Amino acid sequence: MLERLYYSSGLVFPAIATAIALAVSHSLDPYLAFVATSWIIFGLLGLSLDIIWGRGGLLSLAQTAFYGLGGYFGAVIAINMASEWGMTLVWAVPSGALFGAVVAAALGYIIFFARMGELQSTILSYTFTLLLWAVTQSFKIDIGKAAIGGDNGLSNIPGIVLGFGSKAESLDPNQTFATVVAISAVIYFFTRWLMRSNFGKVVDCIRIDVEKTELLGYDIRKIQVMNFAYSGAVAGVAGALFALWANYLNPSLFSVPEALLVPIYVLVGGLGTLAGPFLGALAIGALSFWLGGGAASGQTTLILGAILILLVLFLQNGILGALGQFWRQFIPDPNDAARHAGAVKIDTEVLETILTDAAEQAGPAKELDSNNLFKRFGGVIPVNDVSREFAPGKPYALIGPNGAGKSSYLKTCVGLYRPEGGSIKLGNDDVTKAPIFERVRKGMGVKNQKPQVFGENTVEQNLWSAAYARTKEGQQATAISQKVLGMLGLEEQANAQASALSHGQQQWLDIGMVLCLAPRVVLLDEPAAGMTNEETRELSLLVRTLAKHTTVVVVEHDMEFVRTLEGHVTVLHQGKLFAEGDIETLRANDAVLDIYLGRREHV
Amino acid sequence: MELDYLVTVLLSSLSSASILLIATLGLAVVYGLMGVINLAHGEFLMVGAYSALTATQIGIPYPLAIPVAVVTTMLIGAIVELLIIRRLYGRLFDTMLATWGLGMVFNQAAVLLFGTVSPGIGMPQYNFKIGGYSLAAYSIAMILVAAVMLAFVYLLMTKTVYGMKARASIQEPKMAQAIGIDSSRVNTLTFAIGCGLAGFAGAILLPIIPATPSMGLFFAVKGFLTVVVAGPVALTGSALTALGLGGGASVTASFMTSVVGDVFFFLVTALLLWLYPMGISARWRRKL
Repeated sequence: MLERLYYSSGLVFPAIATAIALAVSHSLDPYLAFVATSWIIFGLLGLSLDIIWGRGGLLSLAQTAFYGLGGYFGAVIAINMASEWGMTLVWAVPSGALFGAVVAAALGYIIFFARMGELQSTILSYTFTLLLWAVTQSFKIDIGKAAIGGDNGLSNIPGIVLGFGSKAESLDPNQTFATVVAISAVIYFFTRWLMRSNFGKVVDCIRIDVEKTELLGYDIRKIQVMNFAYSGAVAGVAGALFALWANYLNPSLFSVPEALLVPIYVLVGGLGTLAGPFLGALAIGALSFWLGGGAASGQTTLILGAILILLVLFLQNGILGALGQFWRQFIPDPNDAARHAGAVKIDTEVLETILTDAAEQAGPAKELDSNNLFKRFGGVIPVNDVSREFAPGKPYALIGPNGAGKSSYLKTCVGLYRPEGGSIKLGNDDVTKAPIFERVRKGMGVKNQKPQVFGENTVEQNLWSAAYARTKEGQQATAISQKVLGMLGLEEQANAQASALSHGQQQWLDIGMVLCLAPRVVLLDEPAAGMTNEETRELSLLVRTLAKHTTVVVVEHDMEFVRTLEGHVTVLHQGKLFAEGDIETLRANDAVLDIYLGRREHV
Repeated sequence: MELDYLVTVLLSSLSSASILLIATLGLAVVYGLMGVINLAHGEFLMVGAYSALTATQIGIPYPLAIPVAVVTTMLIGAIVELLIIRRLYGRLFDTMLATWGLGMVFNQAAVLLFGTVSPGIGMPQYNFKIGGYSLAAYSIAMILVAAVMLAFVYLLMTKTVYGMKARASIQEPKMAQAIGIDSSRVNTLTFAIGCGLAGFAGAILLPIIPATPSMGLFFAVKGFLTVVVAGPVALTGSALTALGLGGGASVTASFMTSVVGDVFFFLVTALLLWLYPMGISARWRRKL
């Protein structure tokens, strides 16, 4: 009971709160109703930040920009349409949402398609807001009946009108409160649904590990822009509602104190909780109400600044985060299963069916061909003119002493490093300039040296998000991930968080995610690191089976493991191809022994 | 377009770029040597300006008021580092939020203490003429001040024991600690120096930019953009970016309005970040 309530708390409590708010809306003191309406609107603004920051992972300080622009745009439309048609809500809210979304998408396009650093993105969004503040001070224009007057603002905005025709009346404060609560509730529940949908799951993956999400074949840039646009739309709705509520807008919407409030709402309530911002706005609103003043004026700024500092220092997870942590003590810990997990044992029969299914769906194995590949970092040349072709049949092992350029070569093939010269062909396609996700979609499957799993997500979700990247269909993805889960024998740990697994098990999970992609070429960087001897034997079996169906390239230090693969061995030295053959001939090769032992002649 | 006009525009643009560099250098030092963005940087500049102003009001001559401002801001900076920044190492965005809140506190405190309007310090203005155009000598002197400041920071970082420790701490924090560098003490000093540079900027610019509680914001936008566009090689990068962006914006502003100059600044920044998503110096091999 307690457990089920915990997992649906984001649905139950907001529903109760909405019902209570609607029930008391008629009997509230009109002035309190009027002020409380603004708290709900600020909560909606906070929600827009939580979408892009708590879920998407980008601290955007441009939310008040979308809010203000949405407000202005919605208000201009409402002023022009309302005198004849009434029904301001229908004019202002969708146009505010649309404008907010378009502007956010434009800013997001610059940020995400350029693949800007985190810091760069945040500062750019902040300066965007400050720029609007500077520009709107002197921006004057008349659009129909609406007169935007620079720092004089835009006045004569009608209130919320629900009736049609020129005689329709504005709602009174209590009705306005109820309407705003209803709209916010709809947006909250829709957002909650969206963030739990397949789209939301991918958004979560991007926040946890951007690189891994792209290595699964998702076009992360597109998803991030879409998420940002959605958050801009929510901010735009909040702005339009604010315009109808206040009947007046001015450039202070874009000011720093205003922008400062939004992250405070989110942090007070709880980052990433979606419901938290409403709680935060309510708490801060009530506090400023009690202190006597508007939410961003007078001494309040001083107090809010101090609150922000204290929040960051002492209450990272906000009210809801702290409550959730307290609650979790009383429900069973799903991560317990991870602590009792035994050694992984591969079920080869299931593996075979997975691989034949994959071949049916994704086509025959492809060859990987690098031609005069060249990569330099300053004076170091980790990949120096490497030409090598890899075909299915037997696994390929890349060996060489530390710093030979093995991982760098693999990373250049995947697209994590951009080569300065040469070309890479995957099957018949030249992918030298293709972004990572496109190579993955064409059939490359990669496991990096460090196991990359989405630590906050469960084991099952990890596999699902890999399978979904390929199928783009939820149920099919579930079927595939269940199969791989069974093959790895991790069924008991399905609901444990991936971060609770041991290092070796995370390696297996990472390999499992690669299998979910049905890759036609598999690149594994030190897959045996952190595994027990027993697990290494299982891994060797898996790699050999895999090589019958796809092209497999393994970078490995463990010579015993390389020997059991019984495949082609390539020795790299100082970024160049040094020797080839099977492991026995190489063991007898003096030159190879020299570079491994650091003897004079070939160093 | 005559030659004297061009020289005038060029000199005044160079002077605006230098003013931007003066205001930004402290921010760049803190970011470059601690990896921390101090969003209260503009407010430290404001504190420096008010310290100098108050000092002149109680009768200290202006040249001596500047060191007063530097010491005041360095002390406040050290306290802020000990109380707030230190607890947030490695949490870049939390540091930004906390210093943002701090900036608002300073801002509001200044409004309470000094009101929103404040008197200038009444320095005599010297002008000189190039052809038919007259230029304020003090603004042009800022070009020299910026150059001296840059040289001072460069020498501080390369020739002093503190500078070497600070650079070691940011490049290889663990190794620095392993060889016995007390990196938290180095960081306190670095942050204090960054704030002191902001205080110096506020004080030295006082004759041309009067102290107001919100004066920090005036520099904030361009300062943050400059440092972020500069990227990891904060010092050289910032000097270059301040020259290019600040000068460019000033040239644009002198042909059109200052708002157009601001828009130009923002657009060029966005373009530069588009081309260099991690800052222009992300691939440089030098480290300072």
